[in-house]
Amino acid sequence: MARDKLHVGLEIGTTKVCAVVAESRANGELRLLGVGESPSRGVRKGEIVDFTNASKCVHDALADAEDRSDREIDNVWLGVTGAHIVGFNHRNSANLPAESEITDAEIEEVECKEQDVGIPKDHILLHSIIQRYFVDGQAGVIDPRGMLGTRLEADFHIIHGIANRIHNAIRCVKEFEIDVVDVVVNSVASAQVILSDQQKRAGALIVDIGGGTTDFLVYQDGAIRHSGVIAIGGDHVTNDICIGLKIPIARAEKLKIEEGSATLEGVKPGERITLKNDTGFSGRDIDRRTLNLIINARLHELLSILRKHVQEVVPEHLLGAGILLTGGCSLTRGIRELAESVFQGTPVNLAHAQSVSGPASAFENPQLSTCIGLARYAQAVHSQMPQSSLLDNFFKKLSSKLKIV
Amino acid sequence: MISYPRWLEDTADTPRLRLIGIGNAGVHIADRIAAQASSELETVAINSDQHSLNTSSAGTRVAIGPLTTHGLGAGGDAETGLEAAKESLKEILGAIEGADILLICAGLGGGTGGPTAALVAKLAKERGALPVAVVTSPFRFEGRRRSAQASEALDELKKHADAVVHFENDRMADFSEPMLEAAKTFAACDELLAAAIITLISATKGGGPLPVSLPDLISILRHSGDGCLFGSGSAEGGERAAAALEEALRSPLLDGGRLLKEGTEILVNIGGPSNIAFVEAASIMQSVSRHVGEKTNLHLTLATTQDDAPLTVALIGRTGAGVARQVPQSAPAVEPLSVVPDQPAKPKPSTPKVHQEDLPLEPVSKGRFIKSEPTMFEGEDLDVPTFIRRKLLR
Repeated sequence: MARDKLHVGLEIGTTKVCAVVAESRANGELRLLGVGESPSRGVRKGEIVDFTNASKCVHDALADAEDRSDREIDNVWLGVTGAHIVGFNHRNSANLPAESEITDAEIEEVECKEQDVGIPKDHILLHSIIQRYFVDGQAGVIDPRGMLGTRLEADFHIIHGIANRIHNAIRCVKEFEIDVVDVVVNSVASAQVILSDQQKRAGALIVDIGGGTTDFLVYQDGAIRHSGVIAIGGDHVTNDICIGLKIPIARAEKLKIEEGSATLEGVKPGERITLKNDTGFSGRDIDRRTLNLIINARLHELLSILRKHVQEVVPEHLLGAGILLTGGCSLTRGIRELAESVFQGTPVNLAHAQSVSGPASAFENPQLSTCIGLARYAQAVHSQMPQSSLLDNFFKKLSSKLKIV
Repeated sequence: MISYPRWLEDTADTPRLRLIGIGNAGVHIADRIAAQASSELETVAINSDQHSLNTSSAGTRVAIGPLTTHGLGAGGDAETGLEAAKESLKEILGAIEGADILLICAGLGGGTGGPTAALVAKLAKERGALPVAVVTSPFRFEGRRRSAQASEALDELKKHADAVVHFENDRMADFSEPMLEAAKTFAACDELLAAAIITLISATKGGGPLPVSLPDLISILRHSGDGCLFGSGSAEGGERAAAALEEALRSPLLDGGRLLKEGTEILVNIGGPSNIAFVEAASIMQSVSRHVGEKTNLHLTLATTQDDAPLTVALIGRTGAGVARQVPQSAPAVEPLSVVPDQPAKPKPSTPKVHQEDLPLEPVSKGRFIKSEPTMFEGEDLDVPTFIRRKLLR
């Protein structure tokens, strides 16, 4: 493994395609070298609906990233999202020969295979992440290697999605003779840079509200307990404004960013916002309260749905480190307060990528959390690679995922 | 607002269909259909009358209200019927569990059929299934009380069912020969109803090269109310296409094909052996389109069954909401088919008319998400702006 290994994270988002080029230093530091971006076309709700346009945007973003980082990109780690991606928990078990020591072979035996978990036929296993082991029913075993036991069980968090849709995203990149090392679910990637180990242990919900989707992930006791995607994002807010105020989409987007807020507090009754003349649009006054009401209604609903999803698996009081909001939509004014009121007192904070170095403008931007997270994920996988069987597993997993493409 | 569950649209497998006969009339019709249906059909009989259930051949039989009616029926009293249904809510729920489409058939004049049908539709709706009701209202001579009960039940049913196909017995009898034996008149009405339901089943079950999509079916039936058009016919041999269509057009509910002109949505379901030629289907559609008005929306479905089956043509549709159904006084613009005896229809005496309310069918505004895969949560289409669904503005 070369020192200063290059890791590139690519996210084909609904609003923008972005690529982060980062360098892994010998001391474990991840340094951002450059970020390439291109406004996205042909992507709806996080999924590609217009292949030609989407792959053009991927090309532009990668070219931009090469320019800015002054490096050549030959492979990327690809983030995927979409409502078809589902996470659930699964327990696997293996009986061991009497009183034998647990070694890597036994651990591998209990590992989750695609055929064990019963996912739909057209789906592909994206992640099977270990939560904890049980040795002869003894809970809370973090590493069972070297222990004695007759029965080894393991809890996994499984994430799967529709194979064809994921392969479409991969093909979008492969068009340009650039390899996709692996696909990573967006929320899993974001978590890598947003949460510290401490927060993972304390329990945290991270919510990445992007343009087309809201990706969420719950950590508890240091392991991923729940994850999912809700196909609602900032685009819906813009669309609601467009319909509610009868203004063009581009105007609605601008208005949302410049004036919009998710709270109704502090708005004087009858307060107006003046929209200036523009080509094809004659200026108009709109009511600020109406604007905020539209945004508030949408985001309140989104957060309520999210709360329902999370509560099904993890009660709120176990989220010791609270809720962390990231993604472009987390820049909406008042969203933190709104989320706190929906989650009834669980602390909510805005978050962006942590513990990476480079231009602050990049890692402090919550829109880039996922993309930076992908680079971090890549770094983590590479640093583990030389260790024992992980290497084999890793390549096995890769080949199974990529051979169909 | 269109409220069929959107997830049904994209399911690849055919939806699970269940036929539910409610009340004496409903159970009777369901049995009839089960006997005639070409493919395996899940049937449920629900009645407060134990005797009717005992003779029924339905796969599942639910006796409701054993404490309220002691298995003796509701005696034509809607209140008793409703009480019986409420008493056996659990059993009813069990009977409808797991179905995607429920075809509910019932006679509305009696005590059990009307109220129970509305309740079943409501329960089905709440469970995300698609209730489609095919109902009859009683003859005028059966008395005012039954008419009143029927119109009340129909109103209730329309609130809950996705589509209500409503046949007035009176209207069917009006067109039949006056001196026909009473039993035959009743039987003819039942026959017509059974044929309508079988058409619906074969149209939804698909299997053919050209199935009807669920949203289409719902939009065809949504407003049918008392302006329901239906006719079916079958024939074999050389000229089977023309012969089957002629028979279908002879149906009293189409008045020799003349009523087709008033139809706004018409589904033409052609069924039969797999050797139906394209020319045959095309000639049927051509003849039908000669009879329909300019604004009529025609839908074609093709369903293939066993190879020895005759070719069947069924027309089902509705007249426009709010358009009074009138038999044209002057010579119709379209030529009636020669085979149809030209019988002048009497203007109908005023029956207690069931007022068909327009369901609010405003265009759902989804803006840029109009073409994308809908985001559904608990039966709501989340692409529609929240403020519209919550009615927050204005």
